[in-house]
Amino acid sequence: MARIQLENVKKAFGKVQALDGITIDVKDKEFFVLFGPAGAGKTTILNCIAGIMMPEEGLVKFDGEIMNLTDSAHRNVAMVFENYALYPQMTVYDNMASALRSKLYKTDEAEIRERIQWAAKIMKMEKLLERLPSQLSNGQKQRVAMGRALVRNPSVFLMDEPLAHLDAKLRNSMRTELKEMQANLGSTCIYVTHDFMEAMALGDRIAIIKEGRIVQIGTGDEIYYMPCNEFTAQLMGDPEINLIDAEISGTEEAYTAKFSLNGEMVACSLPQDSGVYAKIKELGLKRVDIGIRPQHIKYSFEPQDGYFKTTVYSYESIGNKSVIVTDCGDKNHSQLRMIAPNGLRVAIDNDIYIHLEMDHAIFFGSETKDYIVRYDEANYIALAAAQEDE
Amino acid sequence: MAGLTLNHIYKRYDNSGKKKKVKNDFAVKDLNLVCEQGEFIALLGPSGCGKTTTLRMIAGLEEITDGEIYIGERLVNNLHPKDRNIGLAFEDYAMYPPLNVYGNVAFNLRAKGVDKSEIDRRVREIAPLMQIDDLLEKMPVKLSGGQKQRVNIARAIIREPELLLMDEPLSHLDGKARQAMRTEIKRLINKIKCTTVYVTHDQLEAMSLADKIAIINFGVLQQFGTPTEVYDDPVNEFVASFIGEPPMNILETTIIKKEGTFFFTFSNSNLEIAVPQRYYSVISDGFRCKMGVRPMDVLIGGPDSQGTPEKIATFENLGDERRIGIHVGDILMMLITEDEKRYKRGDIIKLEVRGEKTHLFDITTGDRIREKK
Repeated sequence: MARIQLENVKKAFGKVQALDGITIDVKDKEFFVLFGPAGAGKTTILNCIAGIMMPEEGLVKFDGEIMNLTDSAHRNVAMVFENYALYPQMTVYDNMASALRSKLYKTDEAEIRERIQWAAKIMKMEKLLERLPSQLSNGQKQRVAMGRALVRNPSVFLMDEPLAHLDAKLRNSMRTELKEMQANLGSTCIYVTHDFMEAMALGDRIAIIKEGRIVQIGTGDEIYYMPCNEFTAQLMGDPEINLIDAEISGTEEAYTAKFSLNGEMVACSLPQDSGVYAKIKELGLKRVDIGIRPQHIKYSFEPQDGYFKTTVYSYESIGNKSVIVTDCGDKNHSQLRMIAPNGLRVAIDNDIYIHLEMDHAIFFGSETKDYIVRYDEANYIALAAAQEDE
Repeated sequence: MAGLTLNHIYKRYDNSGKKKKVKNDFAVKDLNLVCEQGEFIALLGPSGCGKTTTLRMIAGLEEITDGEIYIGERLVNNLHPKDRNIGLAFEDYAMYPPLNVYGNVAFNLRAKGVDKSEIDRRVREIAPLMQIDDLLEKMPVKLSGGQKQRVNIARAIIREPELLLMDEPLSHLDGKARQAMRTEIKRLINKIKCTTVYVTHDQLEAMSLADKIAIINFGVLQQFGTPTEVYDDPVNEFVASFIGEPPMNILETTIIKKEGTFFFTFSNSNLEIAVPQRYYSVISDGFRCKMGVRPMDVLIGGPDSQGTPEKIATFENLGDERRIGIHVGDILMMLITEDEKRYKRGDIIKLEVRGEKTHLFDITTGDRIREKK
């Protein structure tokens, strides 16, 4: 039960600046996700909070109190790692009791039993208590590791990619279970992941980390609908967002975006309403990157109004739906991906007609790669504000 | 013409040296597969199911206990791996570090004593296909994982093999590189039309790449069919739950009859789902079995819906879609929606299950119970 703050935390390993001024403010009982690619510094942030590492600069505060010089053991944090680190010779029960029996906590056995039973119930592992770790599946082992953290009733849970080890199926079902347990945790939790589905599903708020810096902090919806730059936009969503390098031209009345498709230049008019037009006019932009998510490109096998002709580069089923890939034919070999149902009679290199739904487009600077505007921006700002209130 | 035929293949590892008796001593049991010329086949199953063993037997790296393997029309049981005319690409790239990319790709042809100008012609032909034309002068240490795997595959196909064998070639790559590489493999195979056997434990990879999927469990072939067939028409509970993510919801059910209509009912739940008429000939009042339904065939009813009101246990907003979990007895039943509405845990929704999309499975064997034709 604690509010965790980092203020301008810096940490270097030799010449590498692992953390370059991290400032976050995690509210009490918040589930806060640190999300980013490998090597971004996510785990280093956790280690600074846990007291395993000392930041060279900046403050670590728990409930407003500066913890920089407090020993790790006295910070009352519980960590869960990717590898479960269970004692192989001890039963699940003893593994869970191990911290409480240590010199530091010296809890009496009756209370230990009570706490373990409570944690086992939340983690749905009441039937596993007498087993040895070798008799558990990987998913069960991770559950024990989490249960062991739970019984300590810590100020904050620090979870470092607890599901990364598991295969895709188990990871998804464990994520759903974790979501279910979340309501019963009643503690602040800081969770590190490189899986966007985990970040979106679990996080009350998400901090996007890149090269030791924070790129964006916000709710899942804020980051998904209004990513602050192309890097963030590409992290959220699978298959990732399409980015189209387009040239803007036009008169006072109408703007068109021209871009390369299948080696030819095509033009598509920009929506006039909802602020897009106004923003582009205001900034006098000549070039933008248009971001369109794969579900917002429509296709047809017949020529239609507002559809551009191109060819199928690939057609892949991804389970309950498929992805059609087309080639832009520009110098960067860029491709467009769109969602389609399974079982279409689509052959590679066949013609296909596509339509970009501009009323879902997000616009980025052609040079800066930063967010400029999206269609219906006001609506999404309102959605974000509503979530903030909750 | 068949590109590859497996005829009653068995594999038993010799465990006589081990103290512990292994119960399931056949690693592969009575495996029959016919792969047409130019077809792309995926061998799919959990780890330890025998899929890699099968691939190694086809390659000749593993002896066959019983059965026959034909590549094209040739019986290859007793042929040395090098005489089977196969190309191999494994998860590990195993490149020669002192040779540059060109040297690595050309290595097998050089070893065979192919003419220098012919080697050059073939390398230049394959390089653009695998998009490694700019890398030919580079050393392996300078390459990313995705690039290494491209070189690795180029090396396998440059020999113009009759059969291409790949063992989890993408499992080393991270998400983005994997997605891009999947597209490239799909295009490549489509272009060179080489019969390919591809081993994977990732159902998504199998679904996206293969013309046909062979699903194997405990060394036994469960089902062999196109991605659509195994997805829409699974032969048993194992296939149904292995294919698809999130997996099919599978729940134990007791069928009851009310006023001439049969319903699926579930212990500790109010949920009732009408049984499709086509099953009426195989069920009866009180019939116990398992019911399976995919998460996209579970829907949220509108305000006038006749669906059962249920409390939301989990709500996951994944950006592109949203997943909702509902407790039906002890099981968390998942549904997927692209609806923009944001729900909370504890909200009540009306649950509608598309009865016509349900499958029945035998409660003990897990085999599909089919309507009588």
